Amino acid sequence: MARTTAPQAFSWRQFKVMLRVIIRGEQHLDSTGMGFGDSDAADKRKGFWGSLGSGARKVAMGLLFLLLAAMFFMMGFMLGDLGVSPYTAFSLCVVCLVGLTVLTGLYQAVNILYFVRDLGYYLTLPVSATTVMWAKLAHFLGMSLLGDLIILPVGLGCLLANGAAPLTWVTMTIAFVLSAVAVNLALVIICVPIMRFSRLAHDKDLFSRAFGGLIVVLALAIGVGSQFALQGDGLASLASGSEQLLSGGVPAIVMGVLCPPSLLARPVVQGDALGALAGLLGMLACVAVYALILSAVARRWYFEGVQALQGAGGKRGRRVEGSELAQATRTRGAFAANLSRDWKTMVRVPVFFNQFVLSSLLMPLYFIVIFVVSGAVGVSQAADAGMDPAALLEMARSLAALLTFDSPALAWCAVGVLAFGLFLGFSSYSFTMGVSRDGEDFFFMRGLPMNWSAYLASKFVSPFLLSTVPMLLLIVVALVLLGVPAASGAYLVGVYLGATVSLSLLSLGLGALFPRLTWDNEAQLVKGGGATLMVFAGVLVGVVVMALPALVLLAGALWGVLAIPVALGLALAIFVAECAALVWWVLGPCARSLSRRER
Amino acid sequence: MIRIDHVFKSYDGGATNAVSDLTLEIQSGEIFGLLGPNGAGKSTLLNMLAGVLAPSSGTIELDGVNVATDPLAAKRNLCYVSDSPDHLLRLKGHEFLRFIADVYEVPDAVRGPRIAELAREYGMEGELDNQIQSYSHGMRQKMMIMGALLPDPAIWILDEPMTGLDPKASWLLKQSMRRHADAGKTVLFSTHVLDVAEKVVDRVGIIAHGELLFVGTVTEMRDHFRSNGSLEEMFLELTSENSPFAQDAAEKGGAGEKDAAAVKGGADATEAR
Repeated sequence: MARTTAPQAFSWRQFKVMLRVIIRGEQHLDSTGMGFGDSDAADKRKGFWGSLGSGARKVAMGLLFLLLAAMFFMMGFMLGDLGVSPYTAFSLCVVCLVGLTVLTGLYQAVNILYFVRDLGYYLTLPVSATTVMWAKLAHFLGMSLLGDLIILPVGLGCLLANGAAPLTWVTMTIAFVLSAVAVNLALVIICVPIMRFSRLAHDKDLFSRAFGGLIVVLALAIGVGSQFALQGDGLASLASGSEQLLSGGVPAIVMGVLCPPSLLARPVVQGDALGALAGLLGMLACVAVYALILSAVARRWYFEGVQALQGAGGKRGRRVEGSELAQATRTRGAFAANLSRDWKTMVRVPVFFNQFVLSSLLMPLYFIVIFVVSGAVGVSQAADAGMDPAALLEMARSLAALLTFDSPALAWCAVGVLAFGLFLGFSSYSFTMGVSRDGEDFFFMRGLPMNWSAYLASKFVSPFLLSTVPMLLLIVVALVLLGVPAASGAYLVGVYLGATVSLSLLSLGLGALFPRLTWDNEAQLVKGGGATLMVFAGVLVGVVVMALPALVLLAGALWGVLAIPVALGLALAIFVAECAALVWWVLGPCARSLSRRER
Repeated sequence: MIRIDHVFKSYDGGATNAVSDLTLEIQSGEIFGLLGPNGAGKSTLLNMLAGVLAPSSGTIELDGVNVATDPLAAKRNLCYVSDSPDHLLRLKGHEFLRFIADVYEVPDAVRGPRIAELAREYGMEGELDNQIQSYSHGMRQKMMIMGALLPDPAIWILDEPMTGLDPKASWLLKQSMRRHADAGKTVLFSTHVLDVAEKVVDRVGIIAHGELLFVGTVTEMRDHFRSNGSLEEMFLELTSENSPFAQDAAEKGGAGEKDAAAVKGGADATEAR
């Protein structure tokens, strides 16, 4: 009652207090994955190793950021080399910025502004809605700007290629920052009424599932799209298309609403000094207007939305009793019990579902799309060159028929399978995170008479069925379509299984030896700096398990040190030995380490 | 029976002890209440009994089974309710109970009727198909207690089990504890609610700064203090900043050692019963 009638005026003093508290760390129901991954870390260890780990993570994330920035800078430079103007490159930056912010920014904004455990406490404080919202928004803007800046080097690279004056570098940077602020403000202006009036947004799980799923699909779509956009003049066409988006019509209106400064960018980037100054002032005015609109919207609806969230309830089940209850609670073995518990948790936690289930299921689709589109392009080009596509397929099948056990080609194919397996190392973090996913529940289970070997075995099965088996089916289909001899095909499948099983087992074991069990919310595990590094570390783990078999295969196919059949047999034997040793290691020492693990 | 023999627990390599040289024997057929202020070491001790933490030194035996050397056998013989009921929140009530029953290998013929009985007693029949995360704090606590009582092992270790329970559930739990002890089994629980302890326990132990300051019946405690006051008053006196026992525990062998030994000595006599 007091809250709705309290004055909602902005207080600078309270803003500073709130911002300080928010930056120091508030508990989120979800993690945005923004920043260098330390802000949400609940398991900050003390002492030398703790600061070393935290420092190393920051350095690694900084290097990753610089690497990506350098890559984008080179892309911009290439655009400039192709004759693309700085304004066109800037348009590409702004369109990417708006696109990414609309798709991922709403999720981040809602998480930071609404899905915060401490919000219920803020409601009890004599602080105005406008002040709380601006403090949270300032935090959000700071964090998102850090991420948005990664796109700017595309424009700067183009400026370098065009030999632009230093002042243009400054004006382009300011224009980009103002555009980023404006689009984030626009997003929050949209988000506040949605959170006030939409029932959908009040269901945290549904919201996370929907937007998280969208982000996963988008990430895969970008992956697929980049296969084609980065070939030939695809990038230049993309930049040109972005410029057209800003030049008129409905797209320009949409861009103007979401990011008004983008419509004033031309004089800033390629005009004279006076034009650039006028453009920048115009951009600043746009940002100020959006800030005023947001203040008005927040004053009216922000706390009402927060209050609505506090009262949102979950879905209720029905009554289970009698024979139905007996059926629902019938006896299972330790492995089945752990598998069922782990699977239900993974599917019911939205962020786990998106990262470990949805993305694994979409991965084969990613490859199917690439194969189909590449095949269609190849057939089309062959037809243009006057060749019969059916004859081409027949030629491929006749070549595949040559893959016999005394053929170096089979060894090279096995090396290719290993390279593919190494690529799958990027998704091996679903095994590494197996134990960490349990968080504090792990310590509850420590008090139970658990069979830790069965526990770890169950942690292997779900991700294996989700990630490895669908890809295996794809490989088998490809082998059959190409007419690879059955024995050679079976050998390649064996190599694939050896590589992926050993990679998965080693990842699972490492995750069991070094689990991350103290986190505030599930999203901290799969987002942010630590999770990114874990993804890349998966490839290193892949190198460890695949190096020796790969060397043996190369010793036969490339260096001729070993006879081909010997190299093929030895490589497979090494994988079998590795798998056997890793199974023993995971079910023995790793399981024992879990049975002794303390907080 | 629970036997704790010269147990130490340190989290920082021995610089400070969360539990210090604790020796205690709790007989079968007994309800033992562990009392102590916040940070006294109660949860650390109960976690060590449940096998979640390992003692830095000393031994713990549950019905003759060493928790450190044979943890699985020891855990099959105990159930443990921790001080937080927020576990396995994404499982539905019946899924949680099934998981517990599977881990403890409760046979089909026993688990079905027992789950139905516990659900009826604790008023959770209509909630079993809901995820635990949708429960209130008290309902979560009930679910944890139902999970602990489902396998019905010989030793119950309960950390603040009454927290959040409604009066009926609290009464039910106390009745269950009494029945369990009367059947010749063991109950050890910690609590801040001294009135509850006073009415339920056979013996009480008071812990502060990781040391056991007193062990005995409430009557013996009253005799020692020559007081007609409540357990609450005696507890406050025993653990206050000015208490020679508490100071002794804090200083590890300071001036109050003799007095503390006297209290413990008096208590030790009761352990032999």
